Amino acid sequence: MKKLQIAALILLTVAGLFFCLLGSGTLALMQSGLMSFLSPLSQSGHTVKKSLGSLGKDLLTLDQLEAECSRLEADNRRLRAENNGLRDLLEENNHLRQALGYREHSSFLLTPATILSHDAGVWWSSVKINRGAKDGIATDMPVITDRGLIGKITSVSDNVSEVLLITDENCKVAAKVEGTKEQGICAGPRIASGDLHLTFLSKLADLQPGQKVYTAGVSGGVFPSGISLGTVKSFHARELDGEAILEPAADLDNLEEVFIVTGAK
Amino acid sequence: MKPVILFFLLCLLLPVFLVVQDLLPALPPARERLQLFPVLFCFGVLALPLTPALCFALIASLMQGLELLQFQSGHAETGVAPYIVFFLCWTVILQMASEATHGLRWELHALASALVTFTMLGGEYLLICAKRGGLPLDSVLLIRMAVPCGISLLLAPLLYFLMRHLVPLSSEGAVLKNQASFDL
Repeated sequence: MKKLQIAALILLTVAGLFFCLLGSGTLALMQSGLMSFLSPLSQSGHTVKKSLGSLGKDLLTLDQLEAECSRLEADNRRLRAENNGLRDLLEENNHLRQALGYREHSSFLLTPATILSHDAGVWWSSVKINRGAKDGIATDMPVITDRGLIGKITSVSDNVSEVLLITDENCKVAAKVEGTKEQGICAGPRIASGDLHLTFLSKLADLQPGQKVYTAGVSGGVFPSGISLGTVKSFHARELDGEAILEPAADLDNLEEVFIVTGAK
Repeated sequence: MKPVILFFLLCLLLPVFLVVQDLLPALPPARERLQLFPVLFCFGVLALPLTPALCFALIASLMQGLELLQFQSGHAETGVAPYIVFFLCWTVILQMASEATHGLRWELHALASALVTFTMLGGEYLLICAKRGGLPLDSVLLIRMAVPCGISLLLAPLLYFLMRHLVPLSSEGAVLKNQASFDL
């Protein structure tokens, strides 16, 4: 082994040990740096993915039109294509109106954001959004949609932030059940399945499928009171408490537009 | 291709793979995420001589560790140290395997990608369980680990054949490794 290689190995070992001994504060800064470094790639990738998605939809529409080509007249084809285009615009328009209306009527100060990507980690449920410290975003801010709560901010860089979803075991939310005095802690299971588990309920709680669950808003907590979390799917008594399985109010698999709660109005 | 050029090319590909695997949708039935990063890591450490392979592993482990880092009340849950140890250990093992098979081979790359993916996911799960307490085991857990592992096995030859012209193969590769000096 050459001297240079030995020196390189020693340097590597020292570097490895140095990184192993870093504290949480330094790691947070490094993670923020990595997110800033990757943000142009993430944003470009998101744009490309969106374009490819719409390209697929266009091709599908064209395929459908081609299948009908033999049966329809030329005018009929043109009108169908126009109709499809208008329907897309109408859907987009309705979606934006709904989002805008929610933002205006909400009692919170909201910052809109777009989901850039879902993190590939298998054991963690988190997404990246296109808002960061430059937009006034800070850690522990709740993130919601017009349907309900989706999570909280855990890491922030200049232009990108990471949102820990409520389906993650580490995202614990104090919750109350509609129409009852039952309160508990809501979080995802360790092996995320898309459902939420509401624990520490009374063993004798009379919960029915379909009952709504909201954030309880404990003092000093992260989440304000009254945000929809989900609906009860089932309830069972455990050894010491009762546990309800909830279906999240927001569709966490198909998130596109979200709002970050930056304060109260 | 000189190892130093390949090293920098692979380092450039690391963030690209990190972003691409985040952009890919989850797969049914249990919403498994594709793991492209271990496939590139295995290619890199098999194709590069020992010293640059270790450098590459250190960079890869830092990126993967920071990407998956989660904070709870301001404290990092896992840190990057487990990833550094994990990737460096696999680098040494794969370098030895590469020596034994006289250079980089697609079969070795595919098998290594699957094994690295499986052990990485298993290690992450054990680490989380050690931090949070309890060790829930069920069939979904196995699916969560087996599907990304199987996909890595299938994707590895694709990456190998896309990038094979970048490295001298088989016996030439072994010769290159013995002769290569990586000027840091």
